[in-house]
Amino acid sequence: MSENYKFDTLSLHAGHIPDKETGSRAVPIYQTTSYVFNSTEEAASLYNMEVGGHLYTRISNPTVAALEQRLAALEGGASALACSSGMAAMHLVVSAICSSGDHIVASSKMYGANINLLQHTMPRFGVKTDFVNPNDPEAIKRAIKPNTKLVFGEVIGNPGLDIMDVPEIAKICNSKNIPLVLDATFNTPYLMQPFKHGANIIVHSLTKWLGGHGIAIGGAVVNGGNFDWGDKDKFPTISGPHFALGGISFWEEFGPSALIAKIRAEGMYNFGPSLSPTNAFHLMQGIETLPLRMKKHIENTHSILDFLVNHEMVEWVKHPDLETHPDHEVAKRILPKGSGSIVAFGIKGGREAGKAFIESVQLASHLANVGDAKTLLIHPGSTTHSHLSSEAMKEGGLTDDMIRLSIGLEDINDIKKDFEKGFKAVKKLNR
Amino acid sequence: MIINFKGAKTYIGTGGKSLDTTKKTLCFLHGSGQNHLSFIQQARFFAYKGYSVIVPDMPAHGFSDGNPCKSIKENAEWITDLLVDLKLKDVVVIGHSQGCLVALELNRILKSSLEALIFVAGSNEIPVNQFLLDLSKENPQKAYQMMVTWGHGIDGDMSINKWPGHYHYGEGSNIMCMNKPTALEYDLHSCNDYSDGIDAAKNIKVPALAVLAKNDQMTPLKSGLKFVELIKNCEIHILDCGHFLPSERPMELNSIIKSFLSKLK
Repeated sequence: MSENYKFDTLSLHAGHIPDKETGSRAVPIYQTTSYVFNSTEEAASLYNMEVGGHLYTRISNPTVAALEQRLAALEGGASALACSSGMAAMHLVVSAICSSGDHIVASSKMYGANINLLQHTMPRFGVKTDFVNPNDPEAIKRAIKPNTKLVFGEVIGNPGLDIMDVPEIAKICNSKNIPLVLDATFNTPYLMQPFKHGANIIVHSLTKWLGGHGIAIGGAVVNGGNFDWGDKDKFPTISGPHFALGGISFWEEFGPSALIAKIRAEGMYNFGPSLSPTNAFHLMQGIETLPLRMKKHIENTHSILDFLVNHEMVEWVKHPDLETHPDHEVAKRILPKGSGSIVAFGIKGGREAGKAFIESVQLASHLANVGDAKTLLIHPGSTTHSHLSSEAMKEGGLTDDMIRLSIGLEDINDIKKDFEKGFKAVKKLNR
Repeated sequence: MIINFKGAKTYIGTGGKSLDTTKKTLCFLHGSGQNHLSFIQQARFFAYKGYSVIVPDMPAHGFSDGNPCKSIKENAEWITDLLVDLKLKDVVVIGHSQGCLVALELNRILKSSLEALIFVAGSNEIPVNQFLLDLSKENPQKAYQMMVTWGHGIDGDMSINKWPGHYHYGEGSNIMCMNKPTALEYDLHSCNDYSDGIDAAKNIKVPALAVLAKNDQMTPLKSGLKFVELIKNCEIHILDCGHFLPSERPMELNSIIKSFLSKLK
């Protein structure tokens, strides 16, 4: 009987029903590399992709599949595939869609590793990318060429917190028959489901808010199932005959799930960035409380925004939920529950003040991660984005005085008290 | 494969193998608002087991152009002509839902050319409520979502899927979105208007198999059981799932069909 369960329920249950043999309420960790075939015929059926099932954990695993099916349900997609990291997910998508000679249009304001992959690594394999301002749909339209195979961006840019106008950009992509691929790590499906706004493919770093506890690295590709891959000239390895399985056409055989079927048959098989079953279990434990955590993340973030905006030691504060943010109107429209729990602010006193602040706080952890239940902070210019040129940093909206906060779930007054310790240290420095 | 049939581009799924008319042919007929992808896990399975498989996208469905058929009879005539065009004889017809009604009519037309009939989640009648009929015209996308949620058992709600990573609701509604927007409306009216099922069922002379779903909300089990009583010597199986039995219980369905086929002369 159809109940059409809501988001909070799916976060807890999707992908798993207790089995009759053991009654295990939690998703079991199938810590196995391989699966016994009942017959040679069954083995052949699995290898030929005649029916679904598990062959080898590099390709799929029951625990990982439960996570995948939970993510597909939460995003409202057709199918999902979990892998070893968010960057693995990104590479799987790019390598599944693009071949040598193809072109990508990407946001210029993204996570450093995303930029690195597209700017430096993929060109060695003949795939070039033009980077454009994600807030300028017309610039994206102009950058699209006949050989453009995908448009890529982050819903909430890292670390600049620019908001992509997803519906507008989706319209452009749709008119050009090009898939819109979005990194939705910072929003999670709780804050915004990109497929409802016209996006076609989502990549996640599950390591961040979805996992939420800083204990497991993982990534995922979620396929909206809403893109027509039927143009054989444009997407020959998805709609045309593929080298695998006797010339399979993934589009003809799997339709809305063609991309995931191809990634599983080619990307997971040939590159092997599989997620361990144990990490899948840890990540699912996080997802079970995603709605509760995101509510608290947003509540604490809004309180910290008030605190920082009114603080004498703060030069500027950047968050899309502030009216001063250039993308505030877009954020209100597509992220009505809140624009995430990353806050950037400039500290009076520049680079040295930033260092003093970070080294003086006690509760907040100085590290290169976001989306943990605990409050985190970092100085991007000297860490995550240190490899970028000054020009590239400026293009990405970075400055020397910028501190990035990932607001956690602690008591809000404890977070504020902790930050006050940092500000006191900066005051001493300025004396 | 794509052919030009009756002046329109027509797609016929063949399960990843070339059509070989010398082999026993299985012809899968999809349900209302569906297309060849509703048999993802049957087409390749049987094509790789030595059968010749065809899963036509009916006009305006899936990758096929043309206008949707306006009645069950018109659907059956279209399939009849297709089988003639492809020079296929002695086929085993496997219908799902609306495909069962088409199979019933096909049996009346073809008789000697059919080897067996397999009904999956079927009945001799499929009345459709007025709300869904209206919705299929006014807001097909919403109708797809409703059908997909009604059509699945608990596996749909809980995102349980034999195919790792696949989500029945998301995949199912997007399969329906691949059709022309008018396809579902014509299909549902065709089902609702069909009234010759009792006679058609009583006239079945070829071996028959019915695989019904315990939690079927589209063609309820009660209706399916009444239907199979009309068929002489029909083999019956009931699986614990919803209406979209081919994707909810693919292994079990394939195994039942395979066993049934092995008993045919």
